[in-house]
Amino acid sequence: MKTSLLPEIDLDRCNGCGDCVTACAEGALAIDNTAAHGPMVVFAHPEACIYCTTCEAYCTRGAIRCAFEIVWDDEADQ
Amino acid sequence: MDWLTHVPLFNTLSLETREKIARAALLRHFQPGESILIEGEAGQGAYFILEGEVRVFRLSVEGREQVLATLKPGASFNTVGPLLDGQPHPASARAITETRLAALRSADYLDLLRTCPDFSFVILREFAGRLAHLTGLVENLALHSVRGRMAKFLLAQADGEALHRRWTQDEIAEHLGSVRDVIGRTLREFVDAGYIRREGHRIVLVDREGLEREAQY
Repeated sequence: MKTSLLPEIDLDRCNGCGDCVTACAEGALAIDNTAAHGPMVVFAHPEACIYCTTCEAYCTRGAIRCAFEIVWDDEADQ
Repeated sequence: MDWLTHVPLFNTLSLETREKIARAALLRHFQPGESILIEGEAGQGAYFILEGEVRVFRLSVEGREQVLATLKPGASFNTVGPLLDGQPHPASARAITETRLAALRSADYLDLLRTCPDFSFVILREFAGRLAHLTGLVENLALHSVRGRMAKFLLAQADGEALHRRWTQDEIAEHLGSVRDVIGRTLREFVDAGYIRREGHRIVLVDREGLEREAQY
C-alpha cells in the first residue's frame, strides 16, 4: 500500500476534550497534557490509524479533518 | 486599478468602463469562515472575487447546506440580486479561505449596466454560464439518486473534470445535497460492489463501467 496521510488536527480548534480518543477504536490518538497551551490531541500511535474518519465525526469543534483524494487505480483498466 | 486584472470578466472592457468600475468599487477582506451574504437579508450589491474561495449555498428546512457553487478568484456572485429591486438574497455566501473581494453597491452596479454596454454584455454572458450550471444541478438533484450523484462525482473528480482537491465526507455531502451518514454508507456500498477501494486517505476507483452504470440513476 502507498503511504497514507494522517487526519489533520487544527490545534487552534482542539480543546483537548478527548472525545476523539474515546471514539478511536485503533488507539491511535491520545491527549497531551504537557502542551504549553493546555491539553490537546496528538497521534500517540500514528501507525495504528486506518483513516476510518470516526475521530472527525465525533469532534464537535471541527478540529479534525479527514480529507480524501479521489484517484483512479494505476492498474485499473480505464 | 491593478486589482481589475484579477477578474478576467473585465479584461475585454474599454478603459473608460474599467475606470468607472475602479471608481465605484469597494475592496473588502474576509477571514476563513466569515459570512459575506446571508440568505433572506436585504441585497447590498454585486461581488467579484479577487483572491480566495467563496462557497455559495442555501439552507434546507432542516438546516442542511446545499452548495450551489464554490467560487474561485475571477468569479462573481450576487450579480442577479440588484436587478430584482430590493428582493432579499436568495442564497448565502461564506469565505472558505482568506478572501479579497471587490464590491459594487447596487446603485453603482445598475448604473454601470445601464451606461456601459460592454459591461452589460460580459455580465449577461456570466448569467448564461450560471444558468447552465444551475440547470445541471437541478437535473442532478431531481433525476439522480444519491448513488448516482456519488458515482458521477467520483468519476468527475478522478477524471479531473473538476478542480482536483481533497474532500471530507461532510464536504461531499454538502456538494451532493445529502448528509454525512448517507455519504459514508454509499461509499461502503461502492466498496462492497467492487467499484472503489479505500486506501488510507485515498478513494481509489477501480471499476469505470460499474460507476458509469450507477451514474445513470
